Amino acid sequence: MASSAAAAAAAASAPTRTEVLALFRSLLRTARRFSDYNIREYAKRRTIDAFRHNQNLSDLSSVSTAYCDGMSQLKIAQRQALVYQLYAPNIKNVMEIKTAPRNH
Amino acid sequence: MASKLLASNFRQTLTRIATSCQLRPLSTAAATAEAPPPEPYQDPNGISMKGVKILGRPLYLDMQATSPVDPRVLDAMLPFYMSRYGNPHSRTHMYGWESDQAVETARSQVASLVGASPKEIVFTSGATESNNISVKGVMHFYKEKKRHVITTQTEHKCVLDSCRHLQQEGFEITYLPVGSDGLVDLEKLRSAIRPDTGLVSIMAVNNEIGVIQPMEEIGRICKEFNVPFHTDAAQALGKIPIDVGKWNVSLMSLSGHKIYGPKGVGALYMRRRPRIRVEPQMNGGGQERGIRSGTVPTPLVVGMGAACELAKREMEYDEKRITALQERLLNGIKAKLDGVVINGSIERRYAGNLNLSFAYVEGESLLMGLKEVAVSSGSACTSASLEPSYVLRALGVDEDMAHTSIRFGIGRFTTEAEIDRAVELTVQQVEKLREMSPLYEMVKEGINIKDIQWSQH
Repeated sequence: MASSAAAAAAAASAPTRTEVLALFRSLLRTARRFSDYNIREYAKRRTIDAFRHNQNLSDLSSVSTAYCDGMSQLKIAQRQALVYQLYAPNIKNVMEIKTAPRNH
Repeated sequence: MASKLLASNFRQTLTRIATSCQLRPLSTAAATAEAPPPEPYQDPNGISMKGVKILGRPLYLDMQATSPVDPRVLDAMLPFYMSRYGNPHSRTHMYGWESDQAVETARSQVASLVGASPKEIVFTSGATESNNISVKGVMHFYKEKKRHVITTQTEHKCVLDSCRHLQQEGFEITYLPVGSDGLVDLEKLRSAIRPDTGLVSIMAVNNEIGVIQPMEEIGRICKEFNVPFHTDAAQALGKIPIDVGKWNVSLMSLSGHKIYGPKGVGALYMRRRPRIRVEPQMNGGGQERGIRSGTVPTPLVVGMGAACELAKREMEYDEKRITALQERLLNGIKAKLDGVVINGSIERRYAGNLNLSFAYVEGESLLMGLKEVAVSSGSACTSASLEPSYVLRALGVDEDMAHTSIRFGIGRFTTEAEIDRAVELTVQQVEKLREMSPLYEMVKEGINIKDIQWSQH
């Protein structure tokens, strides 16, 4: 609760370019920490697509809304990346096994 | 013999546990009393389960059976598994109040995705329960005057089974046939309605073939004859836009685990104006306005609410992606294989469901061969039987083609690489099976298989 209030207060004034880029990088970094192949790929893809979708936002309030939303997504991703790591299965997804020989 | 097998199995498991030295969560003395279920055998090169050796966890293309829980949904649920454990019906303390608040928020999240009022949403254990309440509950409530139900041959098992139950009680059921595209004929529906028809139940998106029924037109016909209209929208929720006003549905069944939410929770939409009434299946504490007694599972309901809100926000994005992936899958397979048929209408279908039949290939062999791809021949409920799907038979698909169907389910978390791998493996497997097939050889030589007179066995 407190963190989201702080985020809202920070976003009241439009975020600077550095702040936006920092958010983008943090989201991607957190995405890479997901142990699940599909979730990891989704988190990366969704981050990139969302920033691309919003790159031409010029209206001050919509920029800060988008930034605020991104911050809350980052918080969720950070928590869930940890949860996923705690319960990661021993066996990887076949998509992550690249060098393994495939016999058919 | 059986006991010997069990004993040897048990011994093997024991040694495995001893050698792998894995910590078993909260193991108790009870575990030694009965043999634990055989653990999947794990070695560094992969996993062996049910006699199948797989290199890793298969890529998941069975989104119609169930979908993975979205991490954002899990994030909303977890607090209600920890400190916020109150019973939402407790009115005397803060634990109850906060749970109740969360349930009501979830209710409005579900309602807003389907264009309903939160007061019209009842939480249930899933779409099967919602379907049962709708079909049996409505007919039981209005049994004095209404004795007839209309449904289709391609409904989900739980609707068909509820109808069969009603039949045994003396109700009459009309099972409408569908065209070869899987769509219901509106004229046939119109002529099937009788003065004593109490319910029309037609599913929005088919679970096996993914065709979307003309909901608005069906709703209009039902309104014209003043017959309540129930739809099973478990496969439609969050995937196609739903508006209960436009569809004119009186009842609608929804499910949580098809939209990246938790399993074990669903919802039932019940129209208030004009009011539809049902006889409850479960009697008890009068929760959910007496329609579904039993404590509402706060964490699950919160998860379903979060999944609905996400679906509303992500529908457009997901739709675009899933359509592109479906095209990629279809083009990839069609470019390399002949004799591939799409089951059900191509124009009126949800893109995330691609049901294909591969000619001259035996379906079960194909599924067994595709062990690195988690797909199904049809619905999960009937995946244990070797019978061809009743849905495909209702479409008039030939027995041999119905036997070779595979349903590819694409979802929010499916990647391009997965689609490419699925195409590669499917093509490889189909070619391999066709190479072995004498039928395919004959077709290549120009013999029409349908003309062959098979000798009796």
